[in-house]
Amino acid sequence: MPKSVEAEVVVIGGGPAGMAAAVSSWEHGARKIFLLERNPHLGGILNQCIHPGFGLHVFGEELTGPEYAERYIEALQKTGVEVLTDTTVLEVRRDRTVVAVNRNGVFAFHPQAVVFAVGCRERTRGMIRLPGTRPSGIFTAGCAQYLVNVEGYLPGRRAVILGSGDIGLIMARRLTLEGVQVKAVVEIRPTLSGLLRNYVQCLQDFGIPLLLSHTVFEVLGKERVEGVLVGEVDERGKPRGELRHIPCDTLLLSVGLIPESELLRKAGIPLCPSSGGPFVDEDFACDVPGFFACGNVVAVFDLVDYVTKSAERIGQRICKQKQEEPPPLVVRPGRGVATLVPQRIREGKEGFLYVRPKESFRKARLSFVQGGKEFYAVTIPICRPGEMIRLELSQVPWPGERGEVQVVLEGERHVDTL
Amino acid sequence: MKVYDVVIAGGGVVGCAVAWYLSHFSLDILLLEKCEDVCCGVSKANTGILHSRSYATPGTLKGEMHLRSLPWFSQAFRELGVRPLRCGALTLAFSKEEMQHLKVLRDRGKVEGASLLSPKEVLALEPSLHPGVYAGYFDPETMVISPFALTIALAECAVLNGVTMDFAKEVVSLEASGKHLLVRCSDGGRYVTRFFVNCAGIGAPSLARSVGDSIPPLSLFRGQYFVLDRECQGLVRHVLYPVPTEESKGILVSPTPEGNILLGPNFEAVPYEDTATTLRGLEEVERGARKLVPEIPLDRVITTFSGIRPALPERDFSITFSTHFPSVLHLAGIESPGLTACFGIAEYVGELLKKRGLPLREKEHFQPRIPPPVFRECSLEERERLIAEDPDWGKIICRCEEVTLAEVKRALRSRPPARTLDGLKRRVRVFAGRCQGGFCGMHLPGILERECGFSPSEIRKSGPGSFYVLRRDEVALYAEVR
Repeated sequence: MPKSVEAEVVVIGGGPAGMAAAVSSWEHGARKIFLLERNPHLGGILNQCIHPGFGLHVFGEELTGPEYAERYIEALQKTGVEVLTDTTVLEVRRDRTVVAVNRNGVFAFHPQAVVFAVGCRERTRGMIRLPGTRPSGIFTAGCAQYLVNVEGYLPGRRAVILGSGDIGLIMARRLTLEGVQVKAVVEIRPTLSGLLRNYVQCLQDFGIPLLLSHTVFEVLGKERVEGVLVGEVDERGKPRGELRHIPCDTLLLSVGLIPESELLRKAGIPLCPSSGGPFVDEDFACDVPGFFACGNVVAVFDLVDYVTKSAERIGQRICKQKQEEPPPLVVRPGRGVATLVPQRIREGKEGFLYVRPKESFRKARLSFVQGGKEFYAVTIPICRPGEMIRLELSQVPWPGERGEVQVVLEGERHVDTL
Repeated sequence: MKVYDVVIAGGGVVGCAVAWYLSHFSLDILLLEKCEDVCCGVSKANTGILHSRSYATPGTLKGEMHLRSLPWFSQAFRELGVRPLRCGALTLAFSKEEMQHLKVLRDRGKVEGASLLSPKEVLALEPSLHPGVYAGYFDPETMVISPFALTIALAECAVLNGVTMDFAKEVVSLEASGKHLLVRCSDGGRYVTRFFVNCAGIGAPSLARSVGDSIPPLSLFRGQYFVLDRECQGLVRHVLYPVPTEESKGILVSPTPEGNILLGPNFEAVPYEDTATTLRGLEEVERGARKLVPEIPLDRVITTFSGIRPALPERDFSITFSTHFPSVLHLAGIESPGLTACFGIAEYVGELLKKRGLPLREKEHFQPRIPPPVFRECSLEERERLIAEDPDWGKIICRCEEVTLAEVKRALRSRPPARTLDGLKRRVRVFAGRCQGGFCGMHLPGILERECGFSPSEIRKSGPGSFYVLRRDEVALYAEVR
């Protein structure tokens, strides 16, 4: 029989979100906390992010990914949180049973609170339906990043990168430094997907071409990638003009991240169609009592600092869970907004609202509407899909009446001239 | 030099079925495969349907082989340790004219429990079907199996019963050598045999020509597919066929034993063994699938692929002896329903060889294949027991399909072993889940190098040119490039 383990809190995932949630639970008085991590080391995706740029908000200094992780690993060591690495969670049940497996056997944890800090995964070739052959040499950018930075392999000699997400931009620089020729970064949209600073530091500084409004139409090669057919697209994504053959042996895909919500779906936690993650309130509690979610499983955050901040809200809530919370306002993305978090908000709470724009806007106006009436608005000089808008919850005068709040973003269409 | 009783060229489902069938008898058998593993050609990419007798084409060799195969099913599945999905099929008519075809199927098969259904009855069985359906033919005997699982099980069972399999051996010529045949391979390998069975699939005609026999050139028809996430399991419960055309069985929606849903295939002529997918082909599959299930969740596609049907002009199988060598048998044009018919073909090949003097003396102790445990399908108690035996059962390598390190190591030791990442995928389903290798693809190379004795250059997806990663010193340094 699986070993039965009583617990107060089980945190699933030992990346930045999970570590911060475990530390914060301990600091607010929870005991018998288990942190379950499927890899041999804590740190999650931070371990492969060896570039700097982490921690400006949380620590006020610029750290590399492993350095940022180290701060939390050290903080964890000062607590009594029990860390189980090489441990994979297979199932979470509605009664909060967490079934996990490692080299010592099968475990059934029975905690009072479950925290999903399971992160996100990369969109694949199949999901974007990229046609062509199916040779070796097609990697998601994050997979290639792990192979290069953690395992010490290289994915190939000549690469094309599809998608201008941050991992793709970072990998363009990383591969160049390792001697791999990066032929181009190809982006189907007319705008960059990642952060502007990554464009400057990773592509511009190394003379790597960025092809906006272009995409890869076909993969060539039988056993190994031999090239890709690249061409311009019109507004509807249809090819315009001639296709260009770019010889390469490697294609990296940086075409988006999606919350890894399979465990939550199986546990019956309601999921938000626009983010792909669970609905959460300002303390990152899910719609089902006793379940929490933080970090990129909720919505894919731009910065690890935001992930940490989301996780840190959980400890105090877990420890005063018995108190009845008033029902929250339901907040939904409206026109111009791709997704937002949290989707349930109570008046008078601390924390942030994160809004991801659907498009780039100049002189943007972010307005809050209830029952067709705007009750608050802020103007933003410029916003881009690659950068979340972050507002303090306390700066919005949340209405007392019940009723759904819509968040709408309007402005002049903006295209960055890169 | 050792004299084999039978040499089989080709490790697809047909070659492996022939090897498995002949391994029931006291014979020395060698199977030569040009790729690095079995199931690397036509057999690797199809819908995996085991068609019932309703779908057998009357008056053809393929129909005869199909019907000959059906009585073998229960014995074969027991010996091979495979479990097809017994889901049944619905063939759907959308007009009165199409309805005629359903009656033909019913009358042809006379399958117990089969029936013609009204739209209401069809929709009760499959609520997500197109509401415009006019009638349905329900066939309870149709099954689905993974084509890799079946081919690999046939190969493993054959090897367990004494068949030798050599890989990376492409047969290029045959010549008389006294009473026997001398088989030459492209790598210089030479073998002597009494009988030779050409199961080389797409390569069968050129091999036949090399011994002076003429088999008409094969037409190659490509079929493209979508694979949907296992989370869509239950969306359809039966194989859903449209009414077939002259050319093919049409674009289907089919559940798989692994819990995915397959959409496809379309039907298009290709000039060579081109297994690329195309925008147009995939759009055609999408349209075809939507005719059956309008709300098919194409946002849950995890991958696309395409397979090849190698067809003779008359669209029938051809199983004929060489006109030059009486002990050489050529099999060609084994397209759909080749997977269904494989047991019947194997038995038929055995009979033909027996008539030409191959002695078929049944072995006393034929060993059935015991399938290895599949962690994903085990109960928690079974998982506990496995981990207690070997802690590698507690190390998950693939999160999507819940594959453990123990299963990977076992596949590398199986006979014939997985030698490539595709070989692992087809045996234990790493790389086959929703992340398509995003997770296991990070961890496997290091594990293969550190725990399984591979060097990085030996880690390949498929053939010799399909390296997966390079070592740093194999790539020029930044300073040298700039």
